[in-house]
Amino acid sequence: MMKQVNILFKKELLDAYRDKRSVMAGLYYAFGAPIVMCLLFSILLQQMASPEALKITISGAERAPNLVQYLDSVDISHSDEADTKPIHLEIDDAYQQDMATGRSATVVIVADKSDSKLIKSVRRLETALLRYNSEVAGLRLVARGIDPGLMRALDVQTQDQATPDAKGGLFLGIVTLSIIIAVFYSAMNLGIDTSAGERERNSLALLLSHPLSSMQIVLAKVAAIATFSVLGLALVLIVSKFAYAMVAWEQLGFSITLDQRFMVVSLIIGIPIALMSASMLIFVSFMAKSFKEAQSYVTMVLMVPVGLSMMTSYDIATETIQWLPIAAQQYAMIELIKGNALPLAPLAVASASTLALFGLFTYLSSRMLKSEKVVFGL
Amino acid sequence: MTNYRGRIRTLFRHSLIALGLLGAPGSHATTLDTANLTPCYTKGLADRLMCGSVKQPLSEQDNDEKIRIHFAVIPAIKQVHPSEAILAFAGGPGQSAIEVAAVFARILRYAREDRDIILVDQRGTGKSTLLQCDMDPLEAQFAFNDDALPIFEYSRDETQKCKTKLNTDLSHFTTVAAASDFEAVRLALGYQKLHLFGASYGTRIAQEYMRRYPQAVASATLDGVVPMQQSLVAIGEAIDKSLQAIFIDCAEKADCRQQYPKLDQQYQTLITQLEAQPAIVQIPHPRTHRPIPLVLTQSKVRSAVRMALYSHTTRALVPLAISEASRENYLPLVGLMGSDSAFGSLAMGMHSAIVCGEDWPVLTPQERARFSATYFGRMMIESLDASCPVWQVDAVDKTFYQPLTTSIPTLLLSGGLDPATPPEWAELAMENMANARHLIAEEATHGVAAQSCADKLVAEFIDHGELKRLDASCLSKTAVKRYFMNPNGPVLVKEEP
Repeated sequence: MMKQVNILFKKELLDAYRDKRSVMAGLYYAFGAPIVMCLLFSILLQQMASPEALKITISGAERAPNLVQYLDSVDISHSDEADTKPIHLEIDDAYQQDMATGRSATVVIVADKSDSKLIKSVRRLETALLRYNSEVAGLRLVARGIDPGLMRALDVQTQDQATPDAKGGLFLGIVTLSIIIAVFYSAMNLGIDTSAGERERNSLALLLSHPLSSMQIVLAKVAAIATFSVLGLALVLIVSKFAYAMVAWEQLGFSITLDQRFMVVSLIIGIPIALMSASMLIFVSFMAKSFKEAQSYVTMVLMVPVGLSMMTSYDIATETIQWLPIAAQQYAMIELIKGNALPLAPLAVASASTLALFGLFTYLSSRMLKSEKVVFGL
Repeated sequence: MTNYRGRIRTLFRHSLIALGLLGAPGSHATTLDTANLTPCYTKGLADRLMCGSVKQPLSEQDNDEKIRIHFAVIPAIKQVHPSEAILAFAGGPGQSAIEVAAVFARILRYAREDRDIILVDQRGTGKSTLLQCDMDPLEAQFAFNDDALPIFEYSRDETQKCKTKLNTDLSHFTTVAAASDFEAVRLALGYQKLHLFGASYGTRIAQEYMRRYPQAVASATLDGVVPMQQSLVAIGEAIDKSLQAIFIDCAEKADCRQQYPKLDQQYQTLITQLEAQPAIVQIPHPRTHRPIPLVLTQSKVRSAVRMALYSHTTRALVPLAISEASRENYLPLVGLMGSDSAFGSLAMGMHSAIVCGEDWPVLTPQERARFSATYFGRMMIESLDASCPVWQVDAVDKTFYQPLTTSIPTLLLSGGLDPATPPEWAELAMENMANARHLIAEEATHGVAAQSCADKLVAEFIDHGELKRLDASCLSKTAVKRYFMNPNGPVLVKEEP
């Protein structure tokens, strides 16, 4: 039985390999996604970061020369040029009077805080003003013979247990999401082609006329598609490793490093996913009446794993979801990047259920191949 | 040195480079235990560090007694150069590098993006066999009349007390003795190359390390440079110059001139008056607000003003403090004396080991005469003459005072207003440095990287090692503060209607 499956598997691989366009379409994703992501991230980081020299408009600067000088020393200065950020600092008319008489002197920040490109710059200005405030306040106390340490009634010390590799947050989710999706997308076209496509080319009936069980046929097809999935996964891992290393994460205070351990483990936990994805592709394609229909079904069905993966990415997954296939594997990948221990229990459960799904889809597909309705797409 | 007149006095008279930055081939086998680096945290820094220690022999001659040298590693954000690290040396002498990790993490934040930072508690400081003398509480210091006693005897007695307490030979705690500890830490952690960053006294140990282990150094940044060939006792001139700069600056600025006319004369008059007769007043305790007696002597005034010169923040109060004191309102001075929170504590025993082993024995009669021309120079020489014979630290070898000859890329940073290590000192230090560049931030005080764009320059320099490529134009922008015109701030306006 296995010998026949093996022969058939080689035939399917050859078939798939000859369909250059489908192969390339799948691998384009694996190759292109990380690179596109990195470009996007780099642009995003640049936009989110506050420029080294922050230019804003300051009105009433002559009233607060000391404050303006302070801001200048932290690279925040007034400018009328085109590259000035739309952040406006208004120094109150009564600033000098208030400062000299020990009342709170008013400064107003005018900015649109919904603008994500501005938010970091606004925060930087706010932080600088807070620092200036505590500096002057401290000196006011010193000038009265009081230890400014009195202002710190609580000395709050934080001990952050995260390593720089663990602070990637949402980015970690997006990186692993793109890797997981590669498993599904790199063999999508091949999956449809080898099932719905074969049927449309009328070669499926020919295949079935051989002395083979439908189970053998399905297994061979699944194995071939899964092989391409794993190939896509390996490719996306290699490209990601280099691409994500180019992004200047460190400017945001974290790093995303995909080490060899991550790549090996991801590849291993990716194998059950690839098998499940391949069997699902075939099952869905056989359900459809035609090649075109299969394409739209597959696209819809793929929303499920992508959805599960997104839940993990955006960290809205509940405890229960963490045990589901795809979500658990992705969660494990995130933990790996963070340098934490692998969540073995959920991973084992999810991998087992992934394999169970692979078994189920394979069984269902082989059942379907016994029906003429399916074989001839009636 | 000893605590002979309380903490402030101690800092001022003896700690020659008090708290600089923050306010301020191995000859023997090392026992490594790096396998057990443990996560640890320090004050003011949320990041998780990795701490560990190496065992080192206490003395070169005798391998029996071992001491533990503790270190902490601030991990790089993105480990781009796993075989390299930045080794940061604390100032003082006597400061614990690990205690001030937060400051180093801030100054070196750009450099840390792709390299680890190593902080080592130099032997005698922090967790590595701390050598600390007892300090008087603030109240006792305030009430103490430090001008009423012969300084020599007092200093000697206090030193004797501390010596009895520590009961150790300070000769094992000099710069020379410590250099091999840093190398042992490097070997234990397995880094191939180090980028050194030393501040204040930290520049001396950095130069000693470069001299002994040049193969391990990729680059060095010296911020507030102490030249090998010069005694720290020369500091007196820098203090006077830094204070004069305030007087000159205030006389040039219209509002300051109007508010504080003839500030330098006022200061001299105040000192003269207090020399003749210290002021005895009741003041509220800076923290508890209970009335406590203050004996204000000229040396306390000088010391409070001296310490205020270290940072722009406190410099802003100097004219106000002098002018108010001459009107018999001593509160601003009390504020400057009583808020020592900005300074980490110095390990005075280790401080004495360095100063008595390296700075005191080398003083020639000519130097003694020259340095005694300034008040602080005179005070330091007097108290060292009293305490060093008690400590009996072996004088370092004469070769120690050779200027460092090296071709390692070295960046030297100086502040034009530095009351401890003026720019001339850096010039002296780089005499035999083939590949060095000296950058001066005219308006910076002590520790340039902490108060200017030098933090970025240091990171750039560590990255590419090319001194010529550094654009130093931004150093003209330093965090200068305007002088306080009244107790509320730098604004001068009419009284409230």
